Amino acid sequence: MRQIFASLWFALHSAGQNFRRNLGVSLAGVFTMGLIIFLVGGSLLFTHSVDTVLQGQEQNASHLKIYLSDNASLAAITNFESRLQHDPRVISVTFETKDQAKEQASQNPSIESALAVLGSNPLPASLNLDVRKLTYLSQFNAEAKAMPIVDSTTPTDYNSDVISKLNTVITVIEWVGAIIAIILLTISIVIIMNTIRTAVYSRRTEIEIMKLVGATDWFVRWPFILEGMLGGLLAAIFSGAVVFGAYRLFVQAAQGNLLSVPFDARYTITLLIVLLVGGVAVGAFGSFLGVRRFLSA
Amino acid sequence: MSVAVAERSAAPPQHALRPVISFHGVSKVFPNGTEALRDVDLAIHQGDFCFLVGPSGAGKSTLVRLLIRDEAPSTGRIFIDGQEVSRMSHRKLPKLRRKFGIVFQDYKLLQRRTVAQNVAFALQVTRPGQRHMREKVEEVLWIVGLEDKLDKFPDELSGGEQQRVAIARALVHRPRIFLADEPTGNLDPDTSWGIVQLLLQINHRGTTVLMATHNREVVDLVRRRVIAIDNGRVVRDEAEGQYLREGTATL
Repeated sequence: MRQIFASLWFALHSAGQNFRRNLGVSLAGVFTMGLIIFLVGGSLLFTHSVDTVLQGQEQNASHLKIYLSDNASLAAITNFESRLQHDPRVISVTFETKDQAKEQASQNPSIESALAVLGSNPLPASLNLDVRKLTYLSQFNAEAKAMPIVDSTTPTDYNSDVISKLNTVITVIEWVGAIIAIILLTISIVIIMNTIRTAVYSRRTEIEIMKLVGATDWFVRWPFILEGMLGGLLAAIFSGAVVFGAYRLFVQAAQGNLLSVPFDARYTITLLIVLLVGGVAVGAFGSFLGVRRFLSA
Repeated sequence: MSVAVAERSAAPPQHALRPVISFHGVSKVFPNGTEALRDVDLAIHQGDFCFLVGPSGAGKSTLVRLLIRDEAPSTGRIFIDGQEVSRMSHRKLPKLRRKFGIVFQDYKLLQRRTVAQNVAFALQVTRPGQRHMREKVEEVLWIVGLEDKLDKFPDELSGGEQQRVAIARALVHRPRIFLADEPTGNLDPDTSWGIVQLLLQINHRGTTVLMATHNREVVDLVRRRVIAIDNGRVVRDEAEGQYLREGTATL
């Protein structure tokens, strides 16, 4: 027991001492890690914000009106409606009668007067679909066209141009986000390993002596790992604070301007915890790898 | 005189106990093809004091590195205290290395630690939580004659004093075997002599001492066992030898 405490104290003490004594190298390491954590956190938050906005847009766009032919029987309509209701791609289906369509359209004064001139109701009844994904719209559009109860002149309000553009934008942003994250992650691992290796290299005599007098590998490792964890924690705290601040400013700036970005508190807290844990873990793992080369003999 | 030396070298002292260090047909070839040691057979007994002599690149340092298993032999077997170290697993090395006290030509002191801290370091990393650490450090610094330099830093000391600190650090955990690889390489003759006296004193207390050296005067003055290595081979092993073979200019 006494030995365990003494080992722990030695590891903690020398980690702290080394950090202070090699403040330049230590701070360079913290700064590098902090910068990377900031970039990772920032890009995650940015992608999340864009995603939230786009998801909102996608939800708005994921509607389809299927216009029904005037001589379609009620039984056929009900049949089609219940089939759509049981389709897993569909969120909801509502039936809109000719009268409801007229009422809806009448909210626009110019249409109202046009309808008054006409006397009769030319507006078709429709089934209004909400689907889970934008890409399903084209499928339902195709299905609807094949149905005899659907109005053959204008089967749906599907606008393939707008939808395919929105789809492309979402796909591109998701891919760009993923590629940026992969690049950042690769760069960060390489930089952190090299920074820590430099820090470890400056203390190779110490490691050499420890090995010579018969210290175990783990005894040599622990101070470096704790030091890496300390560096990672500091880096994560500073960059986390900067990311958080920048996010708040971004949300405030976006408000009322372009698209309003919601402040996602839950996501932010989760992200900050992930950054803290990630910083500590990367610091520890980087030290482990950095020290390994000096222990191999 | 020369006849007497020849007779002694022909019959090394017999020990009833098994040797503390033994090499059986040990060779070492480095990956680049350099053959550092060739078919070395050696036996060193508890309490021996041996010089390991030979020109630079002869294989002295390789032999020392094989002993502490910093390198593994290419062929042959090495035993320390009856335990085979040539094929020892990496995990068991720390325990093996605690049997040795090692000093080098370049002292390898931690510049930012005091004399006492440098010596205590060896105990802290091998026996954390040991009681009476301070007393042990003071005692061993007294043995090497540095009891009044406890709180000095290495750069405040002379070369000889720094080597004494290194010796104290190597001694503090009471090793069975003391290895000195060119310990006087950076020191003037008077200081070197002081260091050798200290090693003899350590040997007198029962510790086996193996000293690799270039220092001809020291070897010739002390007249202890001399193992001469040239070109990776043991070319001479004499119980009370000299740096060079008497009457010749060769090892």
